[in-house]
Amino acid sequence: MANKKILIVDDDLDVRQAMHVRLKANGYDTSFATDAMSSVSEAKKHSPDLIILDLGLPGGDGYTVIERLKRQPALAVIPIIVVSARDVRANRDRAIAAGAKVYLQKPVDNAELLAIIRQALGEPAEPNDETITGNWKLLA
Amino acid sequence: MKPPLRVLVVEDNAGDARLLREMFSKEKPGSFEVTHLLRISEALTHLATTQVDIILLDMGLPDGHGLETVRRTRVVAPNVPVIVLTGLDDEALAAEAMKEGAQDYLIKGQIENRALPRALRHAIERHRMQAETDLIRTHQLEFKDEFLSHVSHELRSPLNAIYQFVTILLDKLAGEVNPDQHQYLEIVLRNVKQLQAMIDDLLEVTRVQAGKLTIEPQCTSVAQAIADAVNTLQGAATAKAVALSVEIEQQLPLVCADPTRIRQILIILLDNAIKFTPANGAVKVEARVFKDNSDLLVFQVSDTGCGIASGMTERIFERLFQASDPASAGRQGLGLGLYICKELVTLQGGQIWAESTPGQGAILSVTLPIFSLRNLIAPAFRKARRTHAPLTLVVSQIGSDTGWLSDEARAQHTQGVRTLLQRCLLSDLDVLLPKMGSAGAAELFFIVALTDSIGAESLTRRIRQQFDDSDPIQQAGLTLSTSYQSAAASQPGSAESMEVSLERAATSIQKLMDEEFSSRIVTNG
Repeated sequence: MANKKILIVDDDLDVRQAMHVRLKANGYDTSFATDAMSSVSEAKKHSPDLIILDLGLPGGDGYTVIERLKRQPALAVIPIIVVSARDVRANRDRAIAAGAKVYLQKPVDNAELLAIIRQALGEPAEPNDETITGNWKLLA
Repeated sequence: MKPPLRVLVVEDNAGDARLLREMFSKEKPGSFEVTHLLRISEALTHLATTQVDIILLDMGLPDGHGLETVRRTRVVAPNVPVIVLTGLDDEALAAEAMKEGAQDYLIKGQIENRALPRALRHAIERHRMQAETDLIRTHQLEFKDEFLSHVSHELRSPLNAIYQFVTILLDKLAGEVNPDQHQYLEIVLRNVKQLQAMIDDLLEVTRVQAGKLTIEPQCTSVAQAIADAVNTLQGAATAKAVALSVEIEQQLPLVCADPTRIRQILIILLDNAIKFTPANGAVKVEARVFKDNSDLLVFQVSDTGCGIASGMTERIFERLFQASDPASAGRQGLGLGLYICKELVTLQGGQIWAESTPGQGAILSVTLPIFSLRNLIAPAFRKARRTHAPLTLVVSQIGSDTGWLSDEARAQHTQGVRTLLQRCLLSDLDVLLPKMGSAGAAELFFIVALTDSIGAESLTRRIRQQFDDSDPIQQAGLTLSTSYQSAAASQPGSAESMEVSLERAATSIQKLMDEEFSSRIVTNG
């Protein structure tokens, strides 16, 4: 079976590279976007199975990206995980209301991120996933 | 030519009013424009529509009493300086009025010739300077806050990159790592985490200094906070072979405090205890009603570590304090943890202290006020000086246009709404209760008022007015509804003692609140 594809949207090269290494090691293929404009076109081009999205982006923030993705039926179904350094209290509900599955605050715990990715992609859970994601109820 | 100074005189006594008018008439024509009103209600209407430069306010008006008149005036015209007029025997009251925001007071019959215009001009000038200083201070604090939040954000990003790549190496995602390399990477990782914790502490301390450490007291469980904190630090204790145990008194009462902050305090205390306790030692958390004062609950974190040097048990709470023997616990951090703890505990009406026998460990104790409806309403009852005052529960509910009030809106506006409600309480006979629990789609605020339905009706009107005038709340699209119910008060003439009727009132209010909550629980099917 082909690897699942994940689009990483973040303007910080180090973040993209670290995430790429981490995801590749866990059997995922990755593609990248570095700003709000290109993330939608990248999503169209690669039709990823999941999008990891930063909120602070050049050319419009992550919310505009979610909005644009949700407007196109083919892209609207792709699960979005928001990973941002912005304050959780002020942003989580807004991100989820806009259509994201989960809001994670940077720095993100790798085990947690991977467990959530598996859950969002409907993949079988690893032994420790349950305890890690106990706090996160993914929205259907 | 300077425009005349617009003076509003609110004075019902004809003689006093005439004296004031005579004083003004001696001034240069055109320098004062005096409006004279007899009632506070008239004055408030006037202030709502007309600009004035200063208010001369009698504190014994027929439709308003003492400090209340000052408060109501300040609500309607917060930017207009007020000078209160008092009798000779009322200087203490005048001093109270200054605390409420009056600029000055004049004693009737003691106003010297020519002193009146001077007092007015001084009051206006002082008021202007105060407003200016406040503005400058606010700007400075805002700048400092913005700067620090910016810096911390900027520090976090590179730190996050270091963390990510170190863990990539440690997890062997870039190839095998030999045992020495593994050990060194562990050291890098430990230091990264330490740096992260320091940045968090620094941010917290700047909030303390800016007076921005937010505390949202509510009726909450210390036992739950202990369970959460122990859960968070179990890993660190196990790694150091330190036994972590909990002992909580049966039926521990709830406290009036901020649950997030209790957890934060516990985590700092536990983290310290584990840090200063050698392998095979023990750390214990206990909680019970404080035996010296049954209105307080005490929780203690004790350890079998190196203890605190004699004479240092108070100094450890100072900002940037470091233990003198750093060898015992490795590197110390910034010395901010216990300082933050002390701030958090004090802000919540508790105390923190340490006891220690050097070499045999330390005990850190924290007290917090036990939640008691009875204690919250007792001062109002005492003030009313009667046991059969009518009793009403006023419930304000804040919701959103979209149905469910988001956590974001709750966090952002709860404090604002509380301030707004606080402003509507006209006397010491109304008590705004702390948050009582979660009410699903809306946020509930409770006011216990020692008044009848007419009083409650006018309180409801004031709340509506304040709410309509509040831009941030209007812009957030929040909706407000307010209702009230009378609670069971004692019968007039009954011979009940204050204690008995307080108890009855608390039970009755609690029952009404429980009903409010249960009516809002949404059940599926």
